[in-house]
Order: sequence, then structure tokens, then C-alpha cells
Amino acid sequence: MRKFAKPEEEAEINMTPMLDIVFIMLIFFIVTASFVKEQGLDIQQPPDAPPPPPDEKKQNIVIRVDNNNQVWIWNDRRRVDIRQVRPNIERLHAAFPEGVVVIQAAPDAKTGVIVQIYDQALAVDKKMGVSVTRYEP
Amino acid sequence: MRDHAQQDEDAEINMTPMLDIVFIMLIFFIVTAAFVKEAGIQITKPEAAMSIQKPRTSIIIGISDAGEIWINHKKVDLKSVRPVLERLIAENPRGTVIIQADKDAKAGLTLDVLDAARAAKAAEVAISTRKPS
Repeated sequence: MRKFAKPEEEAEINMTPMLDIVFIMLIFFIVTASFVKEQGLDIQQPPDAPPPPPDEKKQNIVIRVDNNNQVWIWNDRRRVDIRQVRPNIERLHAAFPEGVVVIQAAPDAKTGVIVQIYDQALAVDKKMGVSVTRYEP
Repeated sequence: MRDHAQQDEDAEINMTPMLDIVFIMLIFFIVTAAFVKEAGIQITKPEAAMSIQKPRTSIIIGISDAGEIWINHKKVDLKSVRPVLERLIAENPRGTVIIQADKDAKAGLTLDVLDAARAAKAAEVAISTRKPS
């Protein structure tokens, strides 16, 4: 124990090796740092859907996109322009406030069209439930 | 100049502040380090005004307009999307899986990949979009 008894004299630790390691780690993490900023829409799981209940207020808003990227407001069996989707959702959302928006996509429809409709449904109401399902034409 | 002339006596620089800064930078970069698996293809993202920033992106799946699926810089068959994703998700279970589907990609394929990601138990799945300019 005698050896360790006088530490206050001039005990200086050599910091150089630690500094080397710290710098190398710093450089490694700077180089590998990637700041990925992704914008995205959460696509919800389609509800294990009971068929639209007879209750008037809970009817869903069904929008169908067929293989030719034509948009149908399926509640009315009516084809609309893509720009007319939002006013239609607004109207139907006012009529069926508890309904969710169901986008039925044909396999060959374009993803961009689906995303556009999804976006417009969210623009009507941020808390709107939207789900995407497929349908076979 | 007289002041600077006597440097070699015992001019010791105080390293402590620099060390502090270096350590703080090190900690910052360690904490923010996110090892993202990029898709490896360029696609045209669809526009969406209501999109939100997704934190903790860990895996990016690319779907080209020609119907090719790319994960981690490799082209992947639709059938092997799920096993590949399961392996990558095991490395980072809490990260978000981002699907970068081209705006002209087929919706059927996008939905297939979405289902595969859910089947692989991804914590969160989102479709990548960009803000309209």
C-alpha cells in the first residue's frame, strides 16, 4: 500500500491515446451520419370491414379508382374528375359524419392517384379515417 | 512580436474546453446516428399537402414505375420482400418502414408491398410523398 499512498504529487494521466480514440470515433460518426427526412402518409389497415351498416350516419364514403385511373364516387355510382374529389368528400362527410373514407384501388391504378385522393380526404378532415383496399374489376 | 517570441518556454495549451466540445459532438453524433437502409433508386414521389414528417426512418423500399422493387440497393422479387424485410426489421425493430412508390407505379403492387411490410411486423409503415411546390 505504501506505493499508492502519495498520489497528490504530480500524477498526470497521459490523455493522448484517449484523445486519438475519441477523435476517430467522432470522425466515424460524422461520416456515417445521414439525416434522412422523409415526408409520408400513414396508410391505415383496411378495417376488417363489416359491410356498410344500414345505419344512415355510419355509411362509409367509398371512392373507387379503376384500371384507367378514373375516379368514381361509389356512393353515387358517379364518375368525377380528380379535382372534384375533395368537394365530394366534403359533401358526403357532412352527410355521414361517422363514416370513414374507403379508397378501392384497382390493381393497375396509379399510386399517385391513390395518394392524391388520400391527401384530399385528409385535407377535408385531419382526423378522417382513410383506408385503402383493392377490388377486382 | 516580442510577445510571441517566447513560445517554446513552457507554453501549454489548455485542452479542456476543446475536449468538452469534442465529447459533446461525439455524443450528439452517436445519438443521432441512424443507419438507414436506402432503396437505391430514384423515383418521382407523389405530391401530398397533408403529409407529415416521419421520425425514425429505418428502411426505405423503392417501387419504380416499371414495377421493380428495390430494398437496400438490391432489386427484390415481390415474393422475397417479406423475408428480406423481416431480416432488416430484426436489426432495428422500432424504425419506420417508408415505401417510396413512384407516382406511376401500380397501386396493386404498392398495396402488395404494404401488406408484406405489415406481415413482416413493421412498427410503422408510410408512403413517401413530397410537399407540392
